[in-house]
Amino acid sequence: MNWLKYVIVTLVETLLRGFPFPCKTGLIKIGNPGRDAPVFLTCNFQLTVERVKRALKGMDAYLLVANSRGINVWCSSTGGLLTNHDAISVLKTSGIEDVVDHKTVILPQLAATGIEMKVVLKKTGWRVVWGPVYAKDIPVFMEKHLVKTPEMRQVRFTWDQRIEMAVMWAFPFSAIAALITIPFWRAMALPLISIILVLPFLIFLSFPLYSHWLNPKKKGTSFSKYTVLFDFGRIPLIIWGFFLLGMVLFGLRADVLSWEFMLRWGIASFVVILLINIDLMGSTPVYKSGLHEDRFLKIVLDENKCKGAGFCEQVCPKNCYEVDNVRHLAAMPRADQCVQCGACIVQCPFDALYFRNPKGDVILPETIRRFKLNLLGKRFVKVA
Amino acid sequence: MSTYILMKILESAPSRYDRGIRILSLGKLNKIYDRLTAPIKAGQRVLDIGCGTGALTLRAAQKGAKVKGIDVNAQMLEIARQRADAANLTQNIEFCEMGVAELGSEAPGRYDVVMSGLCFSELTEDELVYTLKAVKRLLKPGGLLLIADEVSPGNPFKKILSGLIRFPLVIATFLITQTTTHAVRHLPERIEDAGLTIESVKLNKLENFIELAAKNPEEVAK
Repeated sequence: MNWLKYVIVTLVETLLRGFPFPCKTGLIKIGNPGRDAPVFLTCNFQLTVERVKRALKGMDAYLLVANSRGINVWCSSTGGLLTNHDAISVLKTSGIEDVVDHKTVILPQLAATGIEMKVVLKKTGWRVVWGPVYAKDIPVFMEKHLVKTPEMRQVRFTWDQRIEMAVMWAFPFSAIAALITIPFWRAMALPLISIILVLPFLIFLSFPLYSHWLNPKKKGTSFSKYTVLFDFGRIPLIIWGFFLLGMVLFGLRADVLSWEFMLRWGIASFVVILLINIDLMGSTPVYKSGLHEDRFLKIVLDENKCKGAGFCEQVCPKNCYEVDNVRHLAAMPRADQCVQCGACIVQCPFDALYFRNPKGDVILPETIRRFKLNLLGKRFVKVA
Repeated sequence: MSTYILMKILESAPSRYDRGIRILSLGKLNKIYDRLTAPIKAGQRVLDIGCGTGALTLRAAQKGAKVKGIDVNAQMLEIARQRADAANLTQNIEFCEMGVAELGSEAPGRYDVVMSGLCFSELTEDELVYTLKAVKRLLKPGGLLLIADEVSPGNPFKKILSGLIRFPLVIATFLITQTTTHAVRHLPERIEDAGLTIESVKLNKLENFIELAAKNPEEVAK
């Protein structure tokens, strides 16, 4: 029965990936855990919980499901929906303290943008260990006695994830198009639905071919600066205008010009423009969303404060850091890979890291810890 | 620049929270909160669980009570602090960013009144059980628990009706305040299970909103 639930959850929640799917929070037993069994913590996005349970299969462990409002670990932590309070709450109220003799909890690495190990330790006495990014690496991580390889720390955008993201855009939007066109404009239904179904797959599957040229630092109207909901820029609109003009000319020459003809081609081409303007980079784990002006921020390392504790290296999902254990100093040899998630700043015990915007203003760790990022920009910083 | 950031912060969800809630409760919430805080007297120690932007906290402080407001949302507390400041009530109010799971750090028998408006419906099941236990411990003998919140109607017909009416409201609430709630089930029974006695229960016509007062019984002489 468990595999059936897994299949159904995977199917439904992949099709509707953009929506929250909260499941029950609290304590889950995996196998036959004893009093020294490892304790893992995850979010309450149902798909995540099912996947973590699958990854832990064969182990004897406890899984704590914290209240992330049904949203995945990275988005909820970075957006302020999976916080210290949620971690503290599940540790104190789930009854885990009554069933194990130790106080070490393994957290997903991507929760490091929202949950501070220092605060959790102070308020509950629980020591946080940052686990791998992907649940499937947990068994190897355990075999290696809680040591992560650089590969386990890095987010990737593999073909299966790219298909998931394509489905996330293709399914709901084609369903809406079907609901509108089938009853009211049957002639338009097939072309429109197929465009909306096929285009996201083309965009995401061919991602490695063009991702090299995407520039998240670019200002102004770029390929994917804003989503359709906000402002999709002038250039696509100008291109659209030229396309419509071309259609009028074509219609006149071929003698097929009519309102119906223009409306159909107008809407079809507009949908194409909307789809390729969808916040493409924001749907990938390897680029910052064009919606967040945070993408202009730079991480600054204060070498006077750094003591080489290495938490930055442990939590960076892009492997930007390297720690010199002789000089006790961190460095950012791959700073260009940074996605401004802020995990390193949040976790640094010496406040040695902070953001700086292009104007030169400093955003202190204190601010970054308190005010998280979300679509409406709780940590929004205006830049020049 | 810090003020600029603060302004930007306030532009996000919490600033819309008050307005949003007012619209969604059709203006009734103010009256409900006035009624709920009526038993509070000057000089009492009051705990406001999930104080949000301070709607209940300020009412209690106006009556001269010493109020501690706790909430997990830093932005909401920021607005609450500003409101307390504007109403000149800061000497009676202490705001703390903490969740119900940290109530264990409070001294037992410390409060005359524990109150909570629209917070229990945001708690997880485990948190609710933990909170009710904590409330029993924190209240003085004879102390009061006051709750105004969404509940799940017992009557199956009203349950369906309430669900139908709630659905668009849940979506609207999420869009305006970015919070979701799930109506609490069997709240009075669960409060009694925690060892408090129900003083009064007022339900609206649809039975999906409760105003409840419960008492921590005086210690029985052995």
